Amino acid sequence: MNSLILASTIGVAFGWTLERAGLGSARKLVGQFYLNDLTVFKVMFSAIVTAMLGVFWLSRLGIIDLGQVYVPETFILPQLAGGLVFGLGFVVAGLCPGTSCVAAATGRGDGVATVLGLFMGVLATGLCLPRFAALYGSTPRGTFTLPEAFHLPYGTVVLLIVLMALGGFTLAERIEARR
Amino acid sequence: MTRLQLFGVGALGLAVLAAFVGTPVPPRPGQIDVNQLAGMIAREEDHVTAIDLASWIKDRKAGLRVIDVRRAEAFDDFHIPTAENVPLPSLSHAAFKATDTLVLYSDGGAHAAQAWVLLRSLGYSRVYFLRGGLGEWLDDVMNPVIPAHAAPDLKETFKRTVELSEYFGGHPTEGDRPPATPTSQRIEAMKRRGC
Repeated sequence: MNSLILASTIGVAFGWTLERAGLGSARKLVGQFYLNDLTVFKVMFSAIVTAMLGVFWLSRLGIIDLGQVYVPETFILPQLAGGLVFGLGFVVAGLCPGTSCVAAATGRGDGVATVLGLFMGVLATGLCLPRFAALYGSTPRGTFTLPEAFHLPYGTVVLLIVLMALGGFTLAERIEARR
Repeated sequence: MTRLQLFGVGALGLAVLAAFVGTPVPPRPGQIDVNQLAGMIAREEDHVTAIDLASWIKDRKAGLRVIDVRRAEAFDDFHIPTAENVPLPSLSHAAFKATDTLVLYSDGGAHAAQAWVLLRSLGYSRVYFLRGGLGEWLDDVMNPVIPAHAAPDLKETFKRTVELSEYFGGHPTEGDRPPATPTSQRIEAMKRRGC
């Protein structure tokens, strides 16, 4: 029960943050595809950097146990296919799952339509799963994290990602300034 | 300097420190706290049951590594699914991560318990052993005996046991538990039935 309350609290905070960042609007989101508004990129990369630094240092200080963090397994082909379907849906709807819920909660019609489509897609996938069960379980690579994949110390990967993020933010600001 | 730039500088500072620190887990102390270990043993926090282990393997518990500390011949003959063979003499050279959850087992339980102390002394904190050893796995997972007339509150537990046993190719039966036989004989009996 506690985990449900915690999950709900985090979910509401996530939605509130997305709305505050203006990501409940499809116009704002599609701006990144036209390179005139890179808010999505900046918000998401900020979240990655914040979470990564938070997890690293909270673990280092003994406050959280990294062993409890679930690392999903990698299946190259099905995840590539899923990524393409996700990207296509993102471009068509102008919203992703999280932002569509935010858009729907704030009364936007396109958000409600996207959430309905999302659940219909989940239902259809569940019903059709036996048909592509072979693809679903293909190309398994087990669980690994970036430090394990690149054989680099954890802290070095953290630094490289932060440098990449800061470089990306600077580039995004320049691109936006030109338009 | 704007607020955004301040955040950027802060993130960069924490990242540079992270690169120097290297690992998100504090370094291993290389010594054991006897009182702490004694407390863990008394509270029975040092071991898992075969059913717990089966459940962890089936649920693909994050970071789980099942370690068979017996000799390679015994491991090749039979081992718990997903287990890795790390005989006792090789234990100190094994490449475990500090965040791994290590479950050790041997034929009985003594060697696994000794391995537990050794790994704790090396600083690994998420270490457990299978107290009843391979025999417990064979009894409780591969050949569980479900009482014919169990109390209603125990039926759910037995249902879970049957599910786990069938997942690992076991043969749950209903009735009374047969008298104990040596582990080696039970392995041979199970191999004969083609498992």
